[in-house]
Amino acid sequence: MEESLANTGDAPESVFRLSMATHELLENAAKYSIGDCVQLEIQLDTSRDCLQARVTNDTTPAHRARLRDRVRLLQHSARPFDLYQSLMRRSFEAGEESGLGLARICGEGDLALAMEGDENTVTIVASSRRARRDPHG
Amino acid sequence: MDSAWQEVIQEDDFSAEASIEGGHMEVVLSGTADLTVKPQLDRFLRSLHTETLRRALSEVSVDVRRLEFMNSSCLKSFVWWISTVEEEPAEARYRIIFLSSPTVYWQRRSLNALAGLAGDIISVQA
Repeated sequence: MEESLANTGDAPESVFRLSMATHELLENAAKYSIGDCVQLEIQLDTSRDCLQARVTNDTTPAHRARLRDRVRLLQHSARPFDLYQSLMRRSFEAGEESGLGLARICGEGDLALAMEGDENTVTIVASSRRARRDPHG
Repeated sequence: MDSAWQEVIQEDDFSAEASIEGGHMEVVLSGTADLTVKPQLDRFLRSLHTETLRRALSEVSVDVRRLEFMNSSCLKSFVWWISTVEEEPAEARYRIIFLSSPTVYWQRRSLNALAGLAGDIISVQA
C-alpha cells in the first residue's frame, strides 16, 4: 500500500498516517469481528482531494453501539491529541477494548473518522486531505 | 557488558534485547511491534522492570531508532510500564530515555504522547 501511494506524489508522512490508520483499523477488525471476512478499501479520491481507508466487518449490536459512541466522541473532540493522551493514560485500566487505536488515528494521525453500516455490519472510515510530496525535497 | 542478565525477544518481524551496560539498562527494539508480539513484549517489560528495581538502577535507555512501527496494543504495554514506574516510591523510580529517529514518522508523536504521561521520568532524544 505504501509503495503504491508513494507513486501518486503524496507526501511520505501523509502515506504513513494512512498506513498507521489502516493498521489500527485492521487490528480492531481482527479482534472484534464475528465473521470470517474483513474488507479493506483504500481510496485516493481526486475529486475531494483525500485519502481514505475503509474497513468493513461483521460485529455484534453491542459492539457496534460502543463503536458508535467512541467515534462520536472523537468526531466532536476539539483537541483530539489531548483526548488520545487521556485515553492512553486510562487504557491500562480500560483493558482490551480501550478505543486507543481509534483515538490514535485522530490524535496522532490527524485523520477524520466516520462510521457506516447496518445492524450487523460496521464500516469505519478514516480519511484525510492529501498532502503532496515536496518536489524539491 | 554485565552478562549476568539479559532478556531477548527474537521473532520474524520483531526483536528486542535488554542488557546491563555500565550501571544502566540498555534496551534495543527493532522491526514491527504489533498484536502478534504483545504477549512477549508484556513479559519483556515486566522482566526488565523487575531487574531494574532489583539492581536499583537510575536509568533505562530504550533505543527505538530501528523500530519501524508500533501499534496501539503495544503502546499500551509501554503505558503499563510507565504507569508502574510512576507508582513506585520516589527512591525506587528510574528515568526512561527513548532514543528515536526523526525519519521514522510514528515515533515523534507517539513518543511525545508517552512522554506526556510522565514528563518527570521520561525523555525523548532524537
